[in-house]
Amino acid sequence: MRLASKRKSGDPMIVVDHVTKFYHGETVLDDVCLELGEGTNLGLIGPGGAGKSLLLKTIAGLVKPDRGSVYVDGHNVTRMKETELAELRFDIGMLFQNYALFDFMDVHGNVGFPLRQVGGYTEEQIAARVSELLSLVSLPNIGHQYPNELSGGMKKRVAFCRAVATRPPILFYDDPTMGLDPVTSSKIFIHLRRTQQAGGTTAVTVSHDIGGIADICDKFAMLDHGRLIFHGTPEEIERSDVRLVKQFWQGVSDD
Amino acid sequence: MINPLRRLFHVIGEQFMSLAFDVGGICLMTWRIFVALSPPRLDGPETWKNLYNVGVKSFPIVVVTAIFTGAIMVLQAGLYVKQYGADGLLGWGAGFSVLREVGPIMIGLMFSGRVGANNTAELGTMKVTEQIDALRALAINPLHYLVLPRFLAMILMLFLLVVIGDLTALVGGAVTSQYLLGVDTELFYWSLVTYIHLEDFTSGLAKAAAFGFAIGVISCHFGMTVSGGAVGVGRAVNNSVVASAIAIFVLDYFITFVIQ
Amino acid sequence: MSVETERADGQRGFVGNFLYGVGEPVLFVWETLTGIFRTGAQASFYILRGRINWREVMSQCHEIGNRSIIFITFTLGFLGMILVFQSGFQAQKITGDLQLLGALFLQILLREFGPTITALMIATRVGTGIAAEIGSMVVTEQVDAMRMNAAPPIQYLVVPRFIASTVMMVVLVIFAVAVCYVAGLFTGIYAFNLNPLTFVNLTFISWADVLICLTKALVYGMAIPIVASYTGLATHGGSAGVGWATTQSVVNCSLTVVILDFILSGLSYVLLTFVQ
Repeated sequence: MRLASKRKSGDPMIVVDHVTKFYHGETVLDDVCLELGEGTNLGLIGPGGAGKSLLLKTIAGLVKPDRGSVYVDGHNVTRMKETELAELRFDIGMLFQNYALFDFMDVHGNVGFPLRQVGGYTEEQIAARVSELLSLVSLPNIGHQYPNELSGGMKKRVAFCRAVATRPPILFYDDPTMGLDPVTSSKIFIHLRRTQQAGGTTAVTVSHDIGGIADICDKFAMLDHGRLIFHGTPEEIERSDVRLVKQFWQGVSDD
Repeated sequence: MINPLRRLFHVIGEQFMSLAFDVGGICLMTWRIFVALSPPRLDGPETWKNLYNVGVKSFPIVVVTAIFTGAIMVLQAGLYVKQYGADGLLGWGAGFSVLREVGPIMIGLMFSGRVGANNTAELGTMKVTEQIDALRALAINPLHYLVLPRFLAMILMLFLLVVIGDLTALVGGAVTSQYLLGVDTELFYWSLVTYIHLEDFTSGLAKAAAFGFAIGVISCHFGMTVSGGAVGVGRAVNNSVVASAIAIFVLDYFITFVIQ
Repeated sequence: MSVETERADGQRGFVGNFLYGVGEPVLFVWETLTGIFRTGAQASFYILRGRINWREVMSQCHEIGNRSIIFITFTLGFLGMILVFQSGFQAQKITGDLQLLGALFLQILLREFGPTITALMIATRVGTGIAAEIGSMVVTEQVDAMRMNAAPPIQYLVVPRFIASTVMMVVLVIFAVAVCYVAGLFTGIYAFNLNPLTFVNLTFISWADVLICLTKALVYGMAIPIVASYTGLATHGGSAGVGWATTQSVVNCSLTVVILDFILSGLSYVLLTFVQ
């Protein structure tokens, strides 16, 4: 980690402490408490509009909650200023739901962006890493194309490359396979699993594709209307007798 | 050698076609509005809604602009008045420019920004989300339902706003004259009343009506012809305010010319 | 924007609603003002640190400057005709003497109409453009992606536009004054049969007038991109929010120009009273 850790060893890497957020009188996050140890991958699931993406953005410090705090590697993300957060974010990679590729840069520029921001790499090193990543997702020749020339699946893979470019120890994936065909989806999940196994990274993955993330996540958290209604291992989810949790989980187990 | 020349023709041609499209579209919109006005069939609730949106919501902006405009013109006129010691001409100098030119133009530009742009954005978003097509499918003519109420509301409201704006500007000018230039408000008022004629005021109002007409037609045209999603709406708003600004200056010139 | 007017269940009580109704517009204006100043301060901070992307600055210069020329020519050309026509006609009616028309026209052009009307036109064109561009980036989460990659959006998006606008505004104002003057000159010749040499009278112009003109241009050039960028960055509400932000930007930028004009005109009044 580039930023000095404030954590005591053995403490969880990510702590969500009684986070609540209101929006126009509605409660969109309701007293959410979570803990995530180093090297674990948490799957955030739940029905549409439950607040999963919002929770992820709160953990990333992009959104400030109205109550509660979030600690990443011991740093209180909810209290830090943007300049301090920038230091912390050198160690975080994020894959956005709608790709969020910079449409004024080509693919090369997009994937190399985090490397240039972090600094300390030569142009050759950046070019080599970008090629390596693009080959990894089977898109070796699109370096000079612009995002608006790419299909949804290609953009998602490029966004994935950008997220992992600096080999960050913490990763956030917001719906990595939304709107993608089954073949591309499974390719993405293969990459997620490989990244996990290679580096012992800590990750939070939001997804609707329960079958896909069942393999790669060690723990699950389920949100409904902003409330955390389940938090535990895949085995515990199977055994849960909360109605909504059972419906959600079994909706997938049937195939 | 051929290629740069071809590119040049291409660019000129493209610009010309796009300009022709917009100019033609605006004329077409004007024609359609006249047709829709004979006989006038207005949707009551829509008309009231638009009168409210257009008038009430731009009121604060217009008042603030007017006050500052009056103050600025007094400051500028004040330089000459102080130089020649002609305090008695301050009211006339500031008042004349505000009522005839600066008032209608500044309020017109602000109106174009607040109402015209908003109108284009609203209509444009409706077009992009296919709500206009939905209206057509329900056998409702978008021209009668959407365009006509907005158009009429804009002419009427800009007219009224310029009336209020002119007076507010003069008040702003009077206050500036008293507190920043040391010229008594009574002298200011006397100067206004003695030298300003009704036609100074009414020529400004004629311009206001014309500006309202232009902004109405232009903003509706650009709103209804949006394409390309959210980016297209942003572009249409841009074009709409630019075209409205040009129209304001061109119309102002011709009206000034004709009135004299 | 989390003001604690909410009870534990997230609903506002009666008092909360009342305060909200009265206070919301005031809060909105206050937040906008503080937001604008914060944006400006941060942009200055990055410029002083020297982290500037010059290629982006050049691209923005082209966008702001080159692409506004025709627009400025049209509007200020007509303005010149209007001003000379109007004042000439009145002068004819009252004194019958048009000797000083050209001289006074140039003076008021430099002091007021040149910079201010040009700035209003640029506020219209560029204000919408910047807000639409940045607003689109906000709704497609590109701005969030920048923040996650430790690239401050202010440095990346606002600073180039700030520098480009400041420089280009001065250039455009000089151009606009020229266009307006020439248009006025032709009006003087063809509408009032004035001798061009009578019209072109520079004896009334002092360095103070030119200084005022350029200062106004500079200040407007700095203010417009900051206000437009702030409005763009404050976009919310999905794609529809982009249209709304674009509208808000024109209004904000125009109001900023008017208010700055008032302040600068006041200062120039003080300056010119001392000079003469």
